[in-house]
Amino acid sequence: MERTEFKTHISEQLNRNLEDLFNLVLEMGGLVERQLENAVKALSNGDVELAKEVLVIDRLINKEEVEIDRLCASVLARQQPTASDLRLIIMAIRIAVDLERMGDEVTKTAKLVVKLSDKGVACPDLPGYAELLEISNTANAMLKQVLNAFARLDLSEVIQILDEEERMDRLLKVAIAKVVDGFHAAQIDPECLLEMVYALKASERVTDHAANIAESVVYLVEGRDIRNIDPEKLTAFLNNLK
Amino acid sequence: MSEQNISVALDRDIRGLSLADEKVAIEVKDWNLYYGSKQALKSINMVVPENRVTAFIGPSGCGKSTLLRCFNRMNDLIDIVNVKGCMTLHGDDMYAKEMNVASLRRRVGMVFQKPNPFPKSIYENVAYGLRLQGINDKTTLDETVEWALKGAGLWDEVKDRLNENALGMSGGQQQRLCIARAIAIKPEVLLLDEPTSALDPISTLAIEELIFELKKEFTILIVTHNMQQAARVSDYTAFMYMGELIEYTDTDTLFTNPQMKRTEDYITGRYG
Repeated sequence: MERTEFKTHISEQLNRNLEDLFNLVLEMGGLVERQLENAVKALSNGDVELAKEVLVIDRLINKEEVEIDRLCASVLARQQPTASDLRLIIMAIRIAVDLERMGDEVTKTAKLVVKLSDKGVACPDLPGYAELLEISNTANAMLKQVLNAFARLDLSEVIQILDEEERMDRLLKVAIAKVVDGFHAAQIDPECLLEMVYALKASERVTDHAANIAESVVYLVEGRDIRNIDPEKLTAFLNNLK
Repeated sequence: MSEQNISVALDRDIRGLSLADEKVAIEVKDWNLYYGSKQALKSINMVVPENRVTAFIGPSGCGKSTLLRCFNRMNDLIDIVNVKGCMTLHGDDMYAKEMNVASLRRRVGMVFQKPNPFPKSIYENVAYGLRLQGINDKTTLDETVEWALKGAGLWDEVKDRLNENALGMSGGQQQRLCIARAIAIKPEVLLLDEPTSALDPISTLAIEELIFELKKEFTILIVTHNMQQAARVSDYTAFMYMGELIEYTDTDTLFTNPQMKRTEDYITGRYG
Protein backbone atom coordinates (compact mmCIF):
# COMPACT_ATOMS: atom_id res chain seq x y z
CA MET A 1 0.00 0.00 0.00
CA GLU A 2 1.26 3.46 -0.90
CA ARG A 3 0.65 6.66 1.02
CA THR A 4 -0.33 8.33 -2.28
CA GLU A 5 -3.38 6.03 -2.52
CA PHE A 6 -4.98 8.11 0.22
CA LYS A 7 -4.94 11.06 -2.17
CA THR A 8 -6.84 9.37 -5.00
CA HIS A 9 -10.43 9.62 -3.78
CA ILE A 10 -12.99 11.25 -5.99
CA SER A 11 -13.82 13.37 -2.95
CA GLU A 12 -11.09 16.01 -2.64
CA GLN A 13 -12.43 16.79 0.80
CA LEU A 14 -11.71 13.25 1.95
CA ASN A 15 -8.23 13.43 0.38
CA ARG A 16 -7.53 16.61 2.32
CA ASN A 17 -8.90 15.28 5.59
CA LEU A 18 -6.86 12.08 5.44
CA GLU A 19 -3.70 13.98 4.50
CA ASP A 20 -4.33 16.34 7.43
CA LEU A 21 -4.75 13.32 9.66
CA PHE A 22 -1.41 11.83 8.59
CA ASN A 23 0.24 15.17 9.21
CA LEU A 24 -1.38 15.67 12.62
CA VAL A 25 -0.28 12.24 13.83
CA LEU A 26 3.27 12.84 12.56
CA GLU A 27 3.31 16.28 14.14
CA MET A 28 2.19 14.82 17.46
CA GLY A 29 4.83 12.10 17.13
CA GLY A 30 7.43 14.79 16.41
CA LEU A 31 6.52 16.52 19.68
CA VAL A 32 6.97 13.29 21.64
CA GLU A 33 10.32 12.82 19.88
CA ARG A 34 11.42 16.29 20.96
CA GLN A 35 10.24 15.56 24.47
CA LEU A 36 12.28 12.35 24.61
CA GLU A 37 15.38 14.07 23.23
CA ASN A 38 15.08 16.84 25.80
CA ALA A 39 14.52 14.34 28.60
CA VAL A 40 17.68 12.42 27.66
CA LYS A 41 19.71 15.63 27.42
CA ALA A 42 18.30 16.92 30.70
CA LEU A 43 19.15 13.61 32.33
CA SER A 44 22.72 13.56 30.97
CA ASN A 45 23.46 17.17 31.86
CA GLY A 46 21.26 17.60 34.92
CA ASP A 47 19.60 20.45 32.98
CA VAL A 48 16.52 21.49 34.98
CA GLU A 49 15.33 24.09 32.41
CA LEU A 50 15.24 21.49 29.67
CA ALA A 51 13.41 19.11 32.03
CA LYS A 52 10.78 21.80 32.62
CA GLU A 53 10.36 22.23 28.86
CA VAL A 54 9.46 18.54 28.69
CA LEU A 55 6.51 19.28 30.96
CA VAL A 56 5.36 22.15 28.74
CA ILE A 57 5.58 20.07 25.55
CA ASP A 58 3.39 17.48 27.25
CA ARG A 59 0.54 19.98 27.30
CA LEU A 60 0.97 20.58 23.58
CA ILE A 61 0.85 16.83 22.97
CA ASN A 62 -2.40 16.53 24.89
CA LYS A 63 -3.90 19.23 22.68
CA GLU A 64 -2.84 17.41 19.54
CA GLU A 65 -4.66 14.29 20.70
CA VAL A 66 -7.90 16.25 21.04
CA GLU A 67 -7.40 17.67 17.53
CA ILE A 68 -6.85 14.20 16.04
CA ASP A 69 -9.96 12.84 17.77
CA ARG A 70 -12.00 15.75 16.47
CA LEU A 71 -10.87 15.22 12.89
CA CYS A 72 -11.47 11.46 13.09
CA ALA A 73 -14.98 11.95 14.48
CA SER A 74 -15.74 14.42 11.73
CA VAL A 75 -14.55 12.10 8.94
CA LEU A 76 -16.47 9.17 10.45
CA ALA A 77 -19.67 11.19 10.72
CA ARG A 78 -19.50 12.93 7.37
CA GLN A 79 -17.70 10.60 5.01
CA GLN A 80 -18.32 7.08 6.34
CA PRO A 81 -14.85 5.81 5.42
CA THR A 82 -14.37 2.14 4.57
CA ALA A 83 -11.50 -0.32 4.05
CA SER A 84 -8.02 1.28 4.32
CA ASP A 85 -9.58 4.71 4.98
CA LEU A 86 -11.52 3.26 7.91
CA ARG A 87 -8.42 1.47 9.19
CA LEU A 88 -6.50 4.75 9.00
CA ILE A 89 -9.12 6.51 11.12
CA ILE A 90 -9.30 3.78 13.74
CA MET A 91 -5.52 3.52 13.94
CA ALA A 92 -4.99 7.30 14.06
CA ILE A 93 -7.21 7.34 17.16
CA ARG A 94 -5.24 4.47 18.72
CA ILE A 95 -1.84 5.91 17.80
CA ALA A 96 -2.84 9.28 19.26
CA VAL A 97 -3.71 7.54 22.55
CA ASP A 98 -0.34 5.79 22.58
CA LEU A 99 1.52 9.01 21.80
CA GLU A 100 -0.33 10.88 24.51
CA ARG A 101 0.58 8.20 27.06
CA MET A 102 4.19 8.30 25.86
CA GLY A 103 4.21 12.01 26.52
CA ASP A 104 2.95 11.43 30.06
CA GLU A 105 5.57 8.77 30.70
CA VAL A 106 8.44 10.96 29.49
CA THR A 107 7.51 13.58 32.07
CA LYS A 108 8.50 11.08 34.79
CA THR A 109 12.12 11.29 33.64
CA ALA A 110 11.87 15.09 33.64
CA LYS A 111 10.48 14.99 37.17
CA LEU A 112 13.39 12.79 38.24
CA VAL A 113 15.84 15.42 36.95
CA VAL A 114 14.00 18.17 38.84
CA LYS A 115 13.85 16.11 42.03
CA LEU A 116 17.57 15.25 41.92
CA SER A 117 18.43 18.88 41.38
CA ASP A 118 16.34 19.86 44.43
CA LYS A 119 18.11 17.25 46.51
CA GLY A 120 21.52 18.14 45.11
CA VAL A 121 22.14 14.60 43.86
CA ALA A 122 23.93 14.02 40.52
CA CYS A 123 22.00 11.75 38.14
CA PRO A 124 24.96 9.53 37.17
CA ASP A 125 25.43 8.64 40.85
CA LEU A 126 22.11 6.83 40.96
CA PRO A 127 21.91 3.07 40.41
CA GLY A 128 20.04 2.32 37.14
CA TYR A 129 21.23 5.54 35.52
CA ALA A 130 23.01 3.85 32.61
CA GLU A 131 19.96 1.64 31.97
CA LEU A 132 17.60 4.63 32.12
CA LEU A 133 19.69 6.37 29.49
CA GLU A 134 19.74 3.29 27.31
CA ILE A 135 16.00 2.67 27.62
CA SER A 136 15.25 6.33 26.87
CA ASN A 137 17.57 6.39 23.86
CA THR A 138 16.11 3.12 22.58
CA ALA A 139 12.59 4.47 23.11
CA ASN A 140 13.50 7.49 21.02
CA ALA A 141 14.97 5.32 18.25
CA MET A 142 11.86 3.10 18.31
CA LEU A 143 9.60 6.12 18.12
CA LYS A 144 11.48 7.40 15.07
CA GLN A 145 11.13 3.96 13.48
CA VAL A 146 7.38 3.66 14.08
CA LEU A 147 6.72 7.18 12.87
CA ASN A 148 8.65 6.38 9.69
CA ALA A 149 6.70 3.14 9.35
CA PHE A 150 3.45 5.10 9.67
CA ALA A 151 4.52 7.91 7.34
CA ARG A 152 5.66 5.51 4.61
CA LEU A 153 3.30 2.60 5.40
CA ASP A 154 6.46 0.53 5.51
CA LEU A 155 6.53 -2.55 7.76
CA SER A 156 10.15 -3.55 7.17
CA GLU A 157 11.30 -2.55 10.67
CA VAL A 158 8.37 -3.94 12.67
CA ILE A 159 10.16 -7.12 13.75
CA GLN A 160 13.11 -5.09 14.98
CA ILE A 161 10.81 -2.75 16.93
CA LEU A 162 9.03 -5.64 18.64
CA ASP A 163 12.36 -7.32 19.46
CA GLU A 164 13.72 -4.12 20.97
CA GLU A 165 10.63 -3.82 23.15
CA GLU A 166 11.35 -7.26 24.62
CA ARG A 167 15.00 -6.38 25.15
CA MET A 168 13.89 -3.29 27.10
CA ASP A 169 11.66 -5.46 29.33
CA ARG A 170 14.74 -7.46 30.28
CA LEU A 171 16.89 -4.36 30.75
CA LEU A 172 14.26 -2.87 33.07
CA LYS A 173 14.50 -5.92 35.33
CA VAL A 174 18.28 -5.53 35.55
CA ALA A 175 17.92 -1.82 36.35
CA ILE A 176 15.26 -2.35 39.03
CA ALA A 177 17.47 -4.96 40.70
CA LYS A 178 20.26 -2.36 40.87
CA VAL A 179 17.96 0.22 42.42
CA VAL A 180 16.75 -2.32 44.97
CA ASP A 181 20.40 -2.88 45.90
CA GLY A 182 20.64 0.89 46.26
CA PHE A 183 17.79 0.83 48.79
CA HIS A 184 19.60 -1.88 50.76
CA ALA A 185 22.89 0.05 50.70
CA ALA A 186 21.01 3.05 52.14
CA GLN A 187 23.58 5.59 50.95
CA ILE A 188 21.25 7.54 48.69
CA ASP A 189 18.06 9.37 49.64
CA PRO A 190 15.27 6.77 49.12
CA GLU A 191 13.03 9.47 47.61
CA CYS A 192 15.54 9.84 44.77
CA LEU A 193 15.67 6.08 44.32
CA LEU A 194 11.92 5.93 44.20
CA GLU A 195 11.84 8.62 41.48
CA MET A 196 14.40 6.53 39.64
CA VAL A 197 12.10 3.49 39.76
CA TYR A 198 9.23 5.59 38.41
CA ALA A 199 11.41 6.98 35.60
CA LEU A 200 12.74 3.54 34.66
CA LYS A 201 9.28 1.99 34.59
CA ALA A 202 7.90 4.94 32.63
CA SER A 203 10.68 4.81 30.04
CA GLU A 204 10.08 1.13 29.51
CA ARG A 205 6.37 1.90 29.05
CA VAL A 206 7.33 4.32 26.30
CA THR A 207 8.84 1.39 24.41
CA ASP A 208 5.62 -0.61 24.99
CA HIS A 209 3.63 2.20 23.40
CA ALA A 210 6.05 2.33 20.47
CA ALA A 211 5.44 -1.40 19.97
CA ASN A 212 1.66 -0.77 20.13
CA ILE A 213 2.01 1.82 17.39
CA ALA A 214 3.97 -0.67 15.29
CA GLU A 215 1.06 -3.11 15.69
CA SER A 216 -1.38 -0.38 14.68
CA VAL A 217 0.63 0.33 11.53
CA VAL A 218 0.56 -3.38 10.65
CA TYR A 219 -3.24 -3.33 10.95
CA LEU A 220 -3.45 -0.16 8.89
CA VAL A 221 -1.32 -1.57 6.08
CA GLU A 222 -2.26 -5.25 6.11
CA GLY A 223 -5.67 -5.31 7.78
CA ARG A 224 -4.30 -7.94 10.16
CA ASP A 225 -4.59 -7.59 13.93
CA ILE A 226 -1.33 -8.94 15.38
CA ARG A 227 -2.05 -8.18 19.03
CA ASN A 228 -1.67 -11.20 21.30
CA ILE A 229 -1.04 -13.65 18.50
CA ASP A 230 1.16 -16.65 19.00
CA PRO A 231 4.85 -15.54 18.67
CA GLU A 232 5.63 -18.20 16.07
CA LYS A 233 2.67 -17.21 13.90
CA LEU A 234 3.63 -13.58 14.31
CA THR A 235 7.21 -14.16 13.18
CA ALA A 236 6.02 -16.19 10.19
CA PHE A 237 3.53 -13.48 9.24
CA LEU A 238 6.03 -10.62 9.59
CA ASN A 239 8.73 -12.51 7.68
CA ASN A 240 6.27 -13.14 4.88
CA LEU A 241 5.74 -9.41 4.48
CA LYS A 242 9.34 -8.87 3.45
CA MET B 1 -15.22 -18.56 35.26
CA SER B 2 -13.25 -21.79 35.62
CA GLU B 3 -9.61 -22.05 34.59
CA GLN B 4 -10.62 -24.35 31.76
CA ASN B 5 -13.23 -21.89 30.47
CA ILE B 6 -10.66 -19.12 30.55
CA SER B 7 -8.19 -21.14 28.51
CA VAL B 8 -10.91 -22.08 26.00
CA ALA B 9 -11.89 -18.42 25.69
CA LEU B 10 -8.25 -17.42 25.16
CA ASP B 11 -7.74 -20.04 22.45
CA ARG B 12 -10.83 -19.11 20.50
CA ASP B 13 -10.10 -17.28 17.28
CA ILE B 14 -11.65 -13.85 17.07
CA ARG B 15 -13.47 -14.04 13.78
CA GLY B 16 -16.81 -13.27 12.27
CA LEU B 17 -19.00 -15.12 9.81
CA SER B 18 -17.57 -17.53 7.30
CA LEU B 19 -19.26 -18.86 4.17
CA ALA B 20 -17.70 -22.24 4.88
CA ASP B 21 -19.89 -22.60 7.98
CA GLU B 22 -23.16 -21.75 6.26
CA LYS B 23 -26.00 -23.87 4.90
CA VAL B 24 -26.39 -23.31 1.18
CA ALA B 25 -29.65 -21.96 -0.24
CA ILE B 26 -28.57 -21.14 -3.79
CA GLU B 27 -25.54 -22.37 -5.66
CA VAL B 28 -24.32 -20.67 -8.82
CA LYS B 29 -21.80 -22.43 -11.04
CA ASP B 30 -20.03 -20.93 -14.03
CA TRP B 31 -23.00 -18.66 -14.75
CA ASN B 32 -22.97 -16.56 -17.93
CA LEU B 33 -25.65 -14.28 -19.35
CA TYR B 34 -25.78 -12.59 -22.73
CA TYR B 35 -28.00 -9.77 -23.96
CA GLY B 36 -27.80 -10.69 -27.65
CA SER B 37 -24.09 -10.78 -28.37
CA LYS B 38 -23.15 -8.69 -25.35
CA GLN B 39 -22.03 -10.70 -22.34
CA ALA B 40 -23.47 -9.17 -19.16
CA LEU B 41 -22.46 -11.83 -16.62
CA LYS B 42 -19.15 -13.62 -16.84
CA SER B 43 -18.61 -16.99 -15.25
CA ILE B 44 -20.14 -16.24 -11.86
CA ASN B 45 -19.50 -18.81 -9.14
CA MET B 46 -20.96 -18.36 -5.67
CA VAL B 47 -23.07 -19.89 -2.93
CA VAL B 48 -25.82 -17.91 -1.26
CA PRO B 49 -26.15 -18.86 2.42
CA GLU B 50 -29.51 -19.73 3.96
CA ASN B 51 -31.19 -17.30 6.38
CA ARG B 52 -28.62 -14.63 5.74
CA VAL B 53 -28.70 -11.33 3.93
CA THR B 54 -26.43 -11.23 0.90
CA ALA B 55 -25.87 -7.84 -0.71
CA PHE B 56 -24.73 -7.13 -4.25
CA ILE B 57 -22.88 -3.89 -4.80
CA GLY B 58 -21.06 -2.38 -7.76
CA PRO B 59 -21.24 0.49 -10.22
CA SER B 60 -24.16 0.91 -12.61
CA GLY B 61 -24.10 -1.66 -15.35
CA CYS B 62 -21.94 -4.12 -13.40
CA GLY B 63 -24.60 -6.83 -13.68
CA LYS B 64 -25.86 -6.95 -10.10
CA SER B 65 -29.55 -6.46 -10.97
CA THR B 66 -29.19 -8.80 -13.94
CA LEU B 67 -27.80 -11.47 -11.64
CA LEU B 68 -30.54 -10.88 -9.05
CA ARG B 69 -33.19 -11.33 -11.74
CA CYS B 70 -31.64 -14.67 -12.66
CA PHE B 71 -32.60 -16.03 -9.25
CA ASN B 72 -36.30 -16.07 -10.13
CA ARG B 73 -35.88 -16.23 -13.91
CA MET B 74 -37.19 -12.75 -14.53
CA ASN B 75 -34.75 -12.56 -17.42
CA ASP B 76 -36.86 -15.20 -19.21
CA LEU B 77 -39.17 -12.31 -20.06
CA ILE B 78 -36.47 -10.65 -22.19
CA ASP B 79 -36.25 -12.25 -25.63
CA ILE B 80 -32.61 -11.53 -26.37
CA VAL B 81 -31.33 -13.03 -23.12
CA ASN B 82 -29.34 -16.25 -23.22
CA VAL B 83 -27.91 -17.97 -20.19
CA LYS B 84 -25.29 -20.65 -19.71
CA GLY B 85 -24.25 -22.39 -16.51
CA CYS B 86 -25.97 -23.91 -13.52
CA MET B 87 -28.06 -22.44 -10.75
CA THR B 88 -29.67 -24.52 -8.01
CA LEU B 89 -32.12 -23.67 -5.25
CA HIS B 90 -31.82 -26.09 -2.35
CA GLY B 91 -30.43 -28.58 -4.83
CA ASP B 92 -33.10 -28.12 -7.52
CA ASP B 93 -31.85 -27.01 -10.93
CA MET B 94 -33.64 -23.67 -11.40
CA TYR B 95 -33.15 -23.71 -15.16
CA ALA B 96 -34.06 -27.36 -15.76
CA LYS B 97 -36.56 -28.00 -18.57
CA GLU B 98 -39.03 -29.55 -16.15
CA MET B 99 -38.81 -26.60 -13.73
CA ASN B 100 -42.14 -24.77 -13.64
CA VAL B 101 -41.25 -21.06 -13.67
CA ALA B 102 -44.41 -20.01 -11.82
CA SER B 103 -43.67 -22.44 -9.01
CA LEU B 104 -40.04 -21.27 -8.93
CA ARG B 105 -41.26 -17.71 -8.46
CA ARG B 106 -43.46 -18.86 -5.61
CA ARG B 107 -40.27 -20.09 -3.95
CA VAL B 108 -38.32 -16.94 -4.84
CA GLY B 109 -40.25 -13.72 -4.18
CA MET B 110 -39.20 -10.31 -5.34
CA VAL B 111 -39.61 -6.68 -4.33
CA PHE B 112 -38.67 -3.88 -6.71
CA GLN B 113 -37.19 -0.42 -6.47
CA LYS B 114 -40.49 1.41 -6.82
CA PRO B 115 -43.36 0.24 -4.63
CA ASN B 116 -45.91 -1.34 -6.95
CA PRO B 117 -49.04 -2.26 -5.01
CA PHE B 118 -52.10 -3.32 -6.99
CA PRO B 119 -54.93 -0.75 -7.13
CA LYS B 120 -56.85 -2.85 -4.63
CA SER B 121 -57.40 -2.85 -0.91
CA ILE B 122 -54.50 -3.42 1.50
CA TYR B 123 -56.02 -6.78 2.40
CA GLU B 124 -56.44 -7.92 -1.20
CA ASN B 125 -52.88 -6.94 -2.08
CA VAL B 126 -51.53 -9.34 0.51
CA ALA B 127 -54.11 -12.04 -0.19
CA TYR B 128 -53.55 -11.88 -3.95
CA GLY B 129 -50.80 -14.49 -4.18
CA LEU B 130 -52.78 -16.90 -2.01
CA ARG B 131 -55.93 -16.48 -4.11
CA LEU B 132 -53.84 -17.20 -7.21
CA GLN B 133 -52.90 -20.48 -5.57
CA GLY B 134 -56.60 -21.23 -5.16
CA ILE B 135 -56.72 -20.49 -1.44
CA ASN B 136 -60.03 -18.75 -0.71
CA ASP B 137 -60.82 -19.97 2.80
CA LYS B 138 -61.51 -16.81 4.80
CA THR B 139 -59.87 -17.95 8.04
CA THR B 140 -56.69 -19.00 6.24
CA LEU B 141 -56.60 -15.74 4.30
CA ASP B 142 -57.24 -13.62 7.41
CA GLU B 143 -54.54 -15.40 9.35
CA THR B 144 -51.99 -15.20 6.57
CA VAL B 145 -52.70 -11.54 5.80
CA GLU B 146 -52.24 -10.68 9.48
CA TRP B 147 -49.06 -12.78 9.69
CA ALA B 148 -47.58 -11.19 6.56
CA LEU B 149 -48.47 -7.63 7.59
CA LYS B 150 -46.97 -8.25 11.02
CA GLY B 151 -43.90 -9.72 9.38
CA ALA B 152 -43.58 -6.60 7.24
CA GLY B 153 -43.92 -4.39 10.31
CA LEU B 154 -47.13 -2.86 8.98
CA TRP B 155 -49.94 -4.49 10.94
CA ASP B 156 -50.28 -1.90 13.69
CA GLU B 157 -50.46 0.91 11.15
CA VAL B 158 -53.10 -0.65 8.89
CA LYS B 159 -55.12 -3.15 10.93
CA ASP B 160 -58.06 -0.75 11.18
CA ARG B 161 -58.15 0.12 7.49
CA LEU B 162 -57.47 -3.15 5.69
CA ASN B 163 -60.18 -2.41 3.14
CA GLU B 164 -58.79 0.96 2.11
CA ASN B 165 -57.06 1.31 -1.22
CA ALA B 166 -53.33 0.54 -0.97
CA LEU B 167 -52.50 3.45 -3.25
CA GLY B 168 -53.48 5.83 -0.43
CA MET B 169 -50.54 4.68 1.71
CA SER B 170 -47.21 6.49 1.98
CA GLY B 171 -44.28 5.30 -0.16
CA GLY B 172 -42.60 3.58 2.78
CA GLN B 173 -45.84 1.83 3.75
CA GLN B 174 -46.45 0.77 0.14
CA GLN B 175 -43.00 -0.78 -0.01
CA ARG B 176 -43.62 -2.68 3.23
CA LEU B 177 -46.95 -3.78 1.77
CA CYS B 178 -45.07 -5.15 -1.25
CA ILE B 179 -42.80 -7.05 1.15
CA ALA B 180 -45.88 -8.38 2.97
CA ARG B 181 -47.34 -9.46 -0.39
CA ALA B 182 -44.08 -11.21 -1.27
CA ILE B 183 -43.78 -13.09 2.04
CA ALA B 184 -47.49 -14.00 2.25
CA ILE B 185 -46.90 -17.01 0.02
CA LYS B 186 -43.94 -18.01 2.22
CA PRO B 187 -41.15 -18.15 -0.33
CA GLU B 188 -37.75 -19.60 0.54
CA VAL B 189 -35.87 -16.65 -0.89
CA LEU B 190 -36.65 -12.95 -1.07
CA LEU B 191 -35.02 -10.79 -3.75
CA LEU B 192 -34.88 -7.07 -3.05
CA ASP B 193 -33.88 -4.83 -5.93
CA GLU B 194 -32.99 -1.38 -4.56
CA PRO B 195 -35.92 -1.62 -2.14
CA THR B 196 -35.35 1.74 -0.45
CA SER B 197 -33.98 3.98 -3.17
CA ALA B 198 -37.34 5.72 -3.56
CA LEU B 199 -37.86 6.16 0.19
CA ASP B 200 -36.97 8.79 2.79
CA PRO B 201 -34.34 8.01 5.50
CA ILE B 202 -36.84 7.02 8.19
CA SER B 203 -38.80 4.65 5.91
CA THR B 204 -35.43 3.31 4.75
CA LEU B 205 -34.42 2.50 8.33
CA ALA B 206 -37.79 0.79 8.92
CA ILE B 207 -37.21 -1.44 5.88
CA GLU B 208 -33.63 -2.17 6.95
CA GLU B 209 -34.88 -3.23 10.40
CA LEU B 210 -37.44 -5.40 8.67
CA ILE B 211 -34.77 -7.08 6.55
CA PHE B 212 -32.90 -7.92 9.74
CA GLU B 213 -36.04 -9.56 11.18
CA LEU B 214 -37.04 -11.31 7.95
CA LYS B 215 -33.76 -13.17 7.57
CA LYS B 216 -34.79 -15.42 10.44
CA GLU B 217 -37.33 -16.96 8.09
CA PHE B 218 -36.09 -16.19 4.62
CA THR B 219 -32.89 -16.10 2.65
CA ILE B 220 -32.51 -12.54 1.44
CA LEU B 221 -30.61 -11.13 -1.50
CA ILE B 222 -30.45 -7.41 -1.93
CA VAL B 223 -29.12 -5.17 -4.67
CA THR B 224 -28.29 -1.69 -3.51
CA HIS B 225 -26.49 1.40 -4.77
CA ASN B 226 -26.16 2.58 -1.21
CA MET B 227 -22.97 1.03 0.12
CA GLN B 228 -23.66 2.06 3.69
CA GLN B 229 -26.95 0.23 3.40
CA ALA B 230 -25.18 -2.92 2.23
CA ALA B 231 -22.79 -2.53 5.15
CA ARG B 232 -25.68 -2.05 7.59
CA VAL B 233 -28.02 -4.83 6.56
CA SER B 234 -26.02 -7.63 5.01
CA ASP B 235 -24.09 -10.57 6.40
CA TYR B 236 -22.24 -11.17 3.15
CA THR B 237 -21.42 -8.77 0.35
CA ALA B 238 -20.59 -9.43 -3.27
CA PHE B 239 -18.80 -6.76 -5.27
CA MET B 240 -19.39 -6.93 -9.02
CA TYR B 241 -17.64 -5.08 -11.79
CA MET B 242 -18.28 -5.29 -15.52
CA GLY B 243 -20.18 -8.55 -15.27
CA GLU B 244 -17.67 -10.26 -13.03
CA LEU B 245 -17.89 -11.20 -9.39
CA ILE B 246 -14.73 -9.53 -8.11
CA GLU B 247 -14.95 -10.25 -4.42
CA TYR B 248 -17.46 -12.06 -2.24
CA THR B 249 -16.98 -12.42 1.49
CA ASP B 250 -18.47 -11.57 4.88
CA THR B 251 -19.52 -7.94 5.07
CA ASP B 252 -17.19 -7.01 7.93
CA THR B 253 -14.16 -8.16 5.98
CA LEU B 254 -15.27 -6.61 2.72
CA PHE B 255 -15.73 -3.20 4.30
CA THR B 256 -12.66 -3.21 6.56
CA ASN B 257 -10.09 -5.24 4.65
CA PRO B 258 -11.06 -6.08 1.07
CA GLN B 259 -8.50 -8.21 -0.72
CA MET B 260 -8.99 -6.91 -4.26
CA LYS B 261 -7.82 -3.46 -5.29
CA ARG B 262 -10.95 -2.92 -7.44
CA THR B 263 -13.16 -3.50 -4.41
CA GLU B 264 -11.06 -1.16 -2.28
CA ASP B 265 -11.15 1.56 -4.95
CA TYR B 266 -14.90 1.26 -5.34
CA ILE B 267 -15.93 1.20 -1.68
CA THR B 268 -13.52 3.95 -0.70
CA GLY B 269 -14.56 6.09 -3.66
CA ARG B 270 -11.17 6.20 -5.37
CA TYR B 271 -10.39 6.57 -9.03
CA GLY B 272 -9.89 2.99 -10.22
